[in-house]
Amino acid sequence: MEPGSLVMMPLEKRQRRPSQWGIRLRQLWTHSFFWLPALVIFTIFVIYPIVGSLYYSLTDWDGLAPNLQMVGLANFRQLISDRSVFTDLRNTLLFATGVMILQNGVALLLALILDGPLRRLTFLRVFFLIPAMLSPLAIGYIWSYIYSPQFGFLNALLGHLGLATWQQDWLGNPRLVLWSLVFTNSWEFMGFSMVVFLAGLQAVPAELYEAARVDGSSVWQRFRYITFPLIAPAVTVNVVLTLIGSMKIFDLIFVMTNGGPGDASESLALRIYKEAFTLNHFGYATAVGIVMALLILTLSIINLHFLRAREEEL
Amino acid sequence: MRSIALSRQGRRCKSFAFFCSRGMALLLVLWWSGLVLVPLLVLLSVALKSPTELLNNPLGWPQQFIWSNFADAWSNASLGQALFNSLLITSATVLGLIVCGSLAAYPLARLGGPWPQRLYLYFVAGLVVPIQLGLFPLYKEMHDLQLINTYQGVILLYIAVNLPFAIFLYTGFIKTVPRELEEAARLDGAGPMRIFWTIVFPLLRPVTATVAITSALSTWNDFFIPLIFLQRDGMQTLPLAIFAFVGQFNNNWSLIFAAVIISSLPLVLAFLFLQRYFIKGIAAGALRG
Repeated sequence: MEPGSLVMMPLEKRQRRPSQWGIRLRQLWTHSFFWLPALVIFTIFVIYPIVGSLYYSLTDWDGLAPNLQMVGLANFRQLISDRSVFTDLRNTLLFATGVMILQNGVALLLALILDGPLRRLTFLRVFFLIPAMLSPLAIGYIWSYIYSPQFGFLNALLGHLGLATWQQDWLGNPRLVLWSLVFTNSWEFMGFSMVVFLAGLQAVPAELYEAARVDGSSVWQRFRYITFPLIAPAVTVNVVLTLIGSMKIFDLIFVMTNGGPGDASESLALRIYKEAFTLNHFGYATAVGIVMALLILTLSIINLHFLRAREEEL
Repeated sequence: MRSIALSRQGRRCKSFAFFCSRGMALLLVLWWSGLVLVPLLVLLSVALKSPTELLNNPLGWPQQFIWSNFADAWSNASLGQALFNSLLITSATVLGLIVCGSLAAYPLARLGGPWPQRLYLYFVAGLVVPIQLGLFPLYKEMHDLQLINTYQGVILLYIAVNLPFAIFLYTGFIKTVPRELEEAARLDGAGPMRIFWTIVFPLLRPVTATVAITSALSTWNDFFIPLIFLQRDGMQTLPLAIFAFVGQFNNNWSLIFAAVIISSLPLVLAFLFLQRYFIKGIAAGALRG
């Protein structure tokens, strides 16, 4: 009941509100044992650290020393002139784009098939989800072995098939490593996206297809003018989720390459971890974290805006 | 006549296209099935090979099953303790999340006026802001509260991180539940807490399943939070125990893969038994999020 906010209200509301306001606030307060535990936990472990990070990004905190100094925007200035952060940024964006296209592309195709011509093979929905039940750490080890240059499964298989010229150092070649990681990540989470697409497809009424078929439409036309517009919400969700998820990628890269060779596969999240926990540059790491958070926020807002506008337009 | 001939031709074209599309569909599905199956088979076959066989026969199925790999991995990676830790942390997180989340969502969905709305936005803002952002102040805070290397610290942290999503789902769902039953109970003199637990909460079962499944999945498989907050021996969760194990036995793929299989089995089995709920939960969680 701050009087300050009362002044902001239109006149006629101001005259009858105060009593109601009091009642409503009291009503909320009598229910405090409902929301208070959640509020306390959430504030302590999520909000307070985030607000704190804005402060620490302005310091030279090393995580240990009690005496920290305010350095103003020095961390951000250092960040702008730090070429390697831009490499990390480029890697992260390439990775996120690759995953978004590959994972959603495959997922949409398989969802269309499993909802259409091969509808009876329901066990495949379960089967395709199994990789998503393993931890990214486990997936990282499995694929490290498959990709490994000398004893790895993939190169052995290629050799066996007489395709020895295709053998590669899948994780050691700076130009390949990011794409090997993109594939592994999409391999793991394709099932998630597919399930979301399938849920969207189930909401499309079958009569629409019948009507379109009677009118002599082609498969492509049916997809373009019926299916795609109607599953637009699922597309939005999948694009945004894969984007946010892969912008934050840490586990998989940490286990498979630790950013290498050189910094060819170093992501922003991995960089933050290294700056903080191996170099003790907590202040700088926090500054990179803020930039990453702003980037994710902006990208997902643009994406949501763009895709939602599309949903309505269609 | 002409039109009939055309339509017949059209039909033939269509059935040919249909055949092609069906064949293509089958091919695509087979291709991805192979891509999913082969690495899983590699996982299993490597876990069952002896080191020498792995070297001499990298491609084939093991000629002799070395089941003792699993026992060795179990004892060397101290997976028993890690399994216990993972089970404890995941179940406490899911339980705490369901209680805190559904309780908080109830007044936010039911009470009118601006304050519940503001409180709701305060919680839901956590959906947009990546949690990693606050990592370092969080580390310091956990250190000051002496919560590092404790179960309760990590459990509280997981609950907090998952709360925005849980509150978002619960609030949306409670708004669709009719109020009449609650009104009747209120007239009978039941207090709000009792109304919530006896009448409202049982109706929320679909959301509760979604919240439980999505949060259990992410908590069980999480590596980042234990990496930072559960370093001490004996406190490690499964992913971290495997990470430490790989650090020790870094080229013994058979033992590593045996440990990976053991650590993944509980969740994969739960998924296979409760697949319908998992698939529904994942889809509902994503589409409302």
